[in-house]
Amino acid sequence: MVGGVAVGGAASHYDVPLRMTACFFPRRIVIAPLDLKLLRDLGKMKGQVFAVSLVMACGLAMMIMSRSLILSLESTRDAYYREHRFADVFCSLKRAPNALRPRLARISGVAAVETRVTGKVTLDLPGLAEPADGTILSLPEDRPQQLHLLFLRRGRLPALGSHNEVVVGEAFADAHGFRPGNEIDAIIYGARQRLKIVGIALSPEYVFEARAGEALPDNKRFGVFWMNERELATALELDGAFNNVIVDVAPSEDIAPVMADLDRVLAPYGGLVAYGRRDHASAVQLDDELMILRGLSVAFPAVFLSIAAFMSSAVLSRLVRLQREQIAQLKAFGYSSWQVGGHYLKFAVVIVALATVIGGCVGLFLGKNVVVLYHQFYKFPSLVLHPDWRMFGVAFVVSAGAAFLGVIGAVRQAVKLPPAEAMRPEPPADYQPSVLERLGLTHLVSTSFRMALRNLERKPWQAFFTAFGLALATGIPIVPGSFRDAIDYLLTFQWDVAQRQNVTVTLLEPGSASAMSDLGHLPGVMSAEPFRSVPARLRFGHHSRRLAITGLPRDARLNRLLDEHARPVELPSDGLLLSAKLAEILGCKPGDTLRLEVQEGRRPVREAVVQGLITDYTGVAAYMEIEALRRLMREGGTVSGAHLSVDTAHWKSFLAEVKEAPRIASLGIKEAVRASFLKSTGDMIGTITAIYFTFAIIVSFGVVYNSARIALSERSRDLATLRVMGFSHREVAAVLIGELALLTLLALPAGLWIGTQLATFIVTAASTETIRMPLILTTKSYASAVIVVLTSATLSFAVVSRRLHQLDLLGVLKARE
Amino acid sequence: MSTAIVEPAEPSTGSPTRTDDNGARQPLFTVRGLTKIYPSGETEIRALDGVDLDLFPSELIVLLGASGSGKSTLLNILGGLDTPTDGTLTYRDLDLTSADEDELTRFRRDSVGFIFQFYNLIPSLTARENVALITEIALDPMTSEEALAMVELDDRMDHFPSQMSGGQQQRVAIARAIAKRPEVLLCDEPTGALDVKTGITVLEAIEHVNQTLGTLTVVITHNAVIADMADRVIYLSDGHIVEIRENKSRRPVRSLAW
Repeated sequence: MVGGVAVGGAASHYDVPLRMTACFFPRRIVIAPLDLKLLRDLGKMKGQVFAVSLVMACGLAMMIMSRSLILSLESTRDAYYREHRFADVFCSLKRAPNALRPRLARISGVAAVETRVTGKVTLDLPGLAEPADGTILSLPEDRPQQLHLLFLRRGRLPALGSHNEVVVGEAFADAHGFRPGNEIDAIIYGARQRLKIVGIALSPEYVFEARAGEALPDNKRFGVFWMNERELATALELDGAFNNVIVDVAPSEDIAPVMADLDRVLAPYGGLVAYGRRDHASAVQLDDELMILRGLSVAFPAVFLSIAAFMSSAVLSRLVRLQREQIAQLKAFGYSSWQVGGHYLKFAVVIVALATVIGGCVGLFLGKNVVVLYHQFYKFPSLVLHPDWRMFGVAFVVSAGAAFLGVIGAVRQAVKLPPAEAMRPEPPADYQPSVLERLGLTHLVSTSFRMALRNLERKPWQAFFTAFGLALATGIPIVPGSFRDAIDYLLTFQWDVAQRQNVTVTLLEPGSASAMSDLGHLPGVMSAEPFRSVPARLRFGHHSRRLAITGLPRDARLNRLLDEHARPVELPSDGLLLSAKLAEILGCKPGDTLRLEVQEGRRPVREAVVQGLITDYTGVAAYMEIEALRRLMREGGTVSGAHLSVDTAHWKSFLAEVKEAPRIASLGIKEAVRASFLKSTGDMIGTITAIYFTFAIIVSFGVVYNSARIALSERSRDLATLRVMGFSHREVAAVLIGELALLTLLALPAGLWIGTQLATFIVTAASTETIRMPLILTTKSYASAVIVVLTSATLSFAVVSRRLHQLDLLGVLKARE
Repeated sequence: MSTAIVEPAEPSTGSPTRTDDNGARQPLFTVRGLTKIYPSGETEIRALDGVDLDLFPSELIVLLGASGSGKSTLLNILGGLDTPTDGTLTYRDLDLTSADEDELTRFRRDSVGFIFQFYNLIPSLTARENVALITEIALDPMTSEEALAMVELDDRMDHFPSQMSGGQQQRVAIARAIAKRPEVLLCDEPTGALDVKTGITVLEAIEHVNQTLGTLTVVITHNAVIADMADRVIYLSDGHIVEIRENKSRRPVRSLAW
């Protein structure tokens, strides 16, 4: 028997007594001699085995981390949506009587319907100078809640018939440290009320608890509230009526007809066009995040695993070549080629097993930490890491496959050699003058450089793979560098170059020119620019998106539209400017005509030409010149809000007045959003960047160290000869390092190119509707990648040079190659 | 007493040798009580056990003995590749027993040429370049071309090792060893991997170098016939010198046969 652990006492096996086993079994565990050889050989090459395993482990850790995160988010989301009955179709309307509910329930395909009352709430919070705002939703009292069931984290639901009792969304409550029993001042529909928090809850429609359409949560200034239906309806002057419908479509039914029927029924009641989960702000956020994760779960592991495959191939083929004689002897003893081949493949199995264990542990550890960061953004009743065990199997098979591919060639070559031939010393390796010499440039290079050149030419594939590994190692650190720079750029672009206002005010209801004038006269306002926001569905061919068309003054100086070079783009007098991403989603280009299905007022359907594209990095938007939009709506000087530049010297009085203004729905303060972004997303990006950077260092060190060890092993005879002839350690080290230094220098430019491609790929993969990263590649990123590789190279050269001191001169020279 | 010190006969060449004030020849190597012990598990192997020996310039010495008799150990210690466990070894005025790594490297670089059974040429360098490795670092080397001419390989200078026969490779190794004009040439079974005819050509090259350069040459061999080319033949057994035989006259290599 060859391989495996057997129980028995065959005389041909080395007996290895295991004390524990001996206590229970009279016989002893024996390990087949080939496996003993395996263990001892592995012991001798532990440095290299560890280096290869570590690089492989980096890939596996990334893979297991991201796949486990995907699994956790998906399974948690699906279970949460199912158990808490997240609706399939959503629709807002002006006002419809409660008597309409049975008719809605009768729509074909509707499994459950919930009618609700929703409104805006403005909050005056102690410790917060500016007003916060929120959405307030009704909880049914006369019937059980059917959809969007709340998960109560603390406290209770408002008691039936109670007054002013509310449940608060967890993200907002946490941001302010609210607990059941706390009270807050709120303005609902212009009336100031004191609300009593009785519970803290989560809802499947606010997994991402942010204002609809905002890419980043600002939990300090936006919250979600639930109140008893009757009380809220009274506050919103909607007694006996509802203004929001959510529908659960039967599993076997198509949602499109349901949406169409719903639109038809609700149209007379000022219904805005119904939409599905694909257009639901929170659901889309989560889907986009999963899309990014999926991209990352493939790109990085693929790079790491290919490097590991090259490395294991190099290590194992060297081992096979070194053990040529031993292979011949084994075959002479009667071992079959399969047995011998299997023995060497076991090396690969051990490396991969080690990598899987390390990668698995690290991946799970990182996943557990990153999932905590996810909890900042996505509110689930519980979000714990579900290890993707299936992925462990896949990871093992993938990396074993890579390692096998690497080693199979060398093993085949070794086993097909007849034993007698294999036992003879190998003839001197065949060399020829290098290209440089053939070009007659011999005099330009030293003898040791000539050796290096000829070695590289003789084994071009080995040289290529080493250089490729080094190039990949150079490329990897560019990615986290570009992440960091992209975030910096995004912050500057979004909040300094594009948005020069410091406050954006949104009105509860679209107002007239006088409302604009009031906003312009708030204390400290230096300049004010109106905006008009009209909800609409944009349709081109069979693609469509629901969003708000924003009308801005043509000569806007505060909220500017920019092109990809951050140059202002002037709004055309007619037609649309679209986010480049929106054009991509709709599949349209400048010159195309879109159908606009306005979802407000008389809900006109119009056509508009795409006049150009603009660059933005969060969300998607469509812009029109404000007068053009008003013409389209057939309205006068209507405004939805204004962008304001407020003198910070009057900040306090500005905020105090805004808090008292009943028509203001929300206040967006640029600096507050930026701080919140840096705190949350900054943390996340920081963690991810640190992980990638660490892995990059491991890879570059691993690759260089491994190559240096292989070079040392292959060249030990040459190097020992040089030492015997009187070369000093330093001179011999220079010969050894020359070749690798040459490869490193060749790899650097290729690595910078690969890094650029990798960063481009990842930025593209991470480009979603909600957030996109600009591709920013700075000299700093490139320089840090080069420094990482050169430092790792220097370190591994130092480690390998130390081994030169241990070179057994006599042993090497006496032994046959 | 297992060792014997026998004054060698005058070397057969007229090459210059150093003498002291009394006209007595000065040994190049002085070996006293040289002992080398290798630990081997719980026991130890005494590879050399109190060897006393003087080696003189221009001599051609053949070391004979069975495997494990200590020949290679002695040669390696003489060449500064290994250090003794006990005893003293001086090369001229240099105490090799207390020399550090740098001194040993310098000693090998300036004074010693090695030839091994398996040639140990650098396969990526041509014959000329293999020799040039030495001429680049030696103090007063001959040119690669001169060295290769001495071993009659002037027509193979730009061949790589893989393009040469075993005998030719070994002659390149000799050229490489002597290019620095060493005072000592140490050959560990130089014909061990060669057939008779090729072996003779290699030995002729060694003999030629010894005669023309006056290099102290020590040759290890299993082959007793080769002993006839030497000035002195030293027999080793179990780490002791058991006999030193002085040849009345050296037999020319070309007349040897085995």
